[in-house]
Amino acid sequence: MTVIARRLAGHLARGLVMILVVATISFFIVNNIPGDPMAARYEKLVEGGMSPEAAAQAVKVLYGFQPTGTLWQQYTDYMGGLLHLDLGVSVSRPGTPVLDVLGEAAKWTVLPVLVGTLLSFLVGVILGVFAAIKRTSKLGDALAISGSLLHGIPQYVLAMLLVVIFATLIPILPADGPVDILFEPGFNAGYIGSLAEHAVLPVVTYALSAYGGWVLAMKSSVVTVLGDDFILAAELRGMKRSIVFRYIARNAILPLFTILALSLGLLLGGAVFIEKIFNYPGLGLMLINGVNDRDYALMSGAFLLITAAVIVANIVADLFYSTIDPRVRSGEEAA
Amino acid sequence: MAQPETAPPQMAPAPVPAPVTPAPGVRIDGLTVVYKTSAGELPAVRDVSLTLEPGSITGIVGESGSGKSTLALSLLNAVQPPGRIAAGSVEIDGLGDVVGLAGERLRKARGAHIGYVFQAAQNSLNPLKTVGKQLLDLGRSHDVDDLRGLVREAKELLGRMGLDGARVLDSHQHELSGGMRQRVGIMLALVLNAHLVVLDEPTTALDMITQANILKIVREVHAERGLTTLVITHDIGVVAEVADRLAVMYGGRLVEQGPTREVLGAPRHPYTRGLIQAIPRLVGDIDEARALPGRPPTLATVPERGCVFRERCALRMDICETDDPAALADGPRIVACHAVGAKERT
Repeated sequence: MTVIARRLAGHLARGLVMILVVATISFFIVNNIPGDPMAARYEKLVEGGMSPEAAAQAVKVLYGFQPTGTLWQQYTDYMGGLLHLDLGVSVSRPGTPVLDVLGEAAKWTVLPVLVGTLLSFLVGVILGVFAAIKRTSKLGDALAISGSLLHGIPQYVLAMLLVVIFATLIPILPADGPVDILFEPGFNAGYIGSLAEHAVLPVVTYALSAYGGWVLAMKSSVVTVLGDDFILAAELRGMKRSIVFRYIARNAILPLFTILALSLGLLLGGAVFIEKIFNYPGLGLMLINGVNDRDYALMSGAFLLITAAVIVANIVADLFYSTIDPRVRSGEEAA
Repeated sequence: MAQPETAPPQMAPAPVPAPVTPAPGVRIDGLTVVYKTSAGELPAVRDVSLTLEPGSITGIVGESGSGKSTLALSLLNAVQPPGRIAAGSVEIDGLGDVVGLAGERLRKARGAHIGYVFQAAQNSLNPLKTVGKQLLDLGRSHDVDDLRGLVREAKELLGRMGLDGARVLDSHQHELSGGMRQRVGIMLALVLNAHLVVLDEPTTALDMITQANILKIVREVHAERGLTTLVITHDIGVVAEVADRLAVMYGGRLVEQGPTREVLGAPRHPYTRGLIQAIPRLVGDIDEARALPGRPPTLATVPERGCVFRERCALRMDICETDDPAALADGPRIVACHAVGAKERT
């Protein structure tokens, strides 16, 4: 237990340092993006037919401040706020804290990606075992080819393909946002049903595009384990097939948990194209809008959130690994 | 945890248990094992006949690729694909012809009747489970009702071999040394009361002291439990140490067999002679040891007709090119060589 606690403490300390480093880097990168959020808003108003004076006044009223401090002052302000989990106020949505914007967007990203990833993991791992065991037969070939094929198609191509097929040619599924606006948001059957219906295509996209990687990874992992001596040893000791199968599965799935944890960490940032295509108001779409609006605070916040997610996923993967692999648990070198 | 018992490990030698079943005899007859390759099916073991007397320790010596491990696996009908037993039989007392066994009957024979001990350097244990849990898996696989009794028996065996049974059962593979793993392997081979034990390179990759320990254990456990034991090795020293009977394998054939002392003292087959001459003496001139010229054949280079050893043989004759030398018995000794046969007959 103390080993785990010590490990966790070390990870948290390192993770914190990493987050601060990333916050610094993203702050300066974002600040160096050409353009100015207030100028952008001003131009928008002028383009909309407002007189320059009125537009300048409107911008001033809208934000209530003019950034006058030096870059260094802005940086220390930002980092100081960060320590209180204050990510600043959104520029494109005046008055709304970045944290609230992120939270609102995150719920549209996390659930579909989580479901899609876990679904593909489950299906991919199970079919990967068959692909390995039947690797000399037609079934094994078919599974491996299906894996390579889906692994090779870019996610956004797959998404557009699904939209074309299931929303246009055979219009049985919606592809226009997260929910039908006709329904009253809340815990009622119509609203939840509409949510689920709208989630089908994005979830299927995530699942299909990740499936290939799982099948191929699991296949190669199982093939490796099948060649291990202890599997033959178990068979020569007359172990039941079901027990030998469990030995194979548990040893083969081990390295895949690491990949799973890492891909769950990346899921927050990986959904940009898909959310754009399905018009899903998640973190990806929010990031695109943030970039368009020169919303410095929002961009920095989004980058930071993605970083934190990856770091947390790493820590979880490591701790999880140490509970399922005794060689890691004891902190000794694997024999 | 897997071990409900808290009894202290039994370090003293266990009393000699009366064998539940007498040591089985084994008769291998005309065994041929082929491997499927791109050049067709090539024999790794060809027409091998060997009898393991009940209660004996037989050693099979051979170089890498001589087919000795394939022969050992044949005793459990466990030749791995792309290999298969093409001809012959392996009759084991109480089991019948193993070559004809399949499915559940074959699975239950493995472990319960025939124990197989892997080379120590090979990882013959699941790295994710403790030895004790794997012992319970073994018990469940063989429908052992009294799992507590099985654990007790395992601890006794481990204690007999000088290990702390409770500690070992609670360990993972990576927490055990090579010598300890080998003893765990022997325990797993014996714990279901198998009376035929096959040890494949039992001392390879162990240090000298541990080697001696393991061989001592093999000898003692063999006698105490009334076993029939087959030891596969490339190390003539190991055979000299433990085996009553010695069989020399070359290119998939048994070229010579007989009582260990006699074969080592007065080898007849030119290959056996060459092997023994190649051993450097502890005292005396190192140059007295002469290596055999040439290389052993591989699956693809084993000649189809004639003697497998003729390429490296000093006594080569014309008939060696065309005819397989028959294994001729002379008392307890069997030699397959035209030159020796001719000498004997004249």
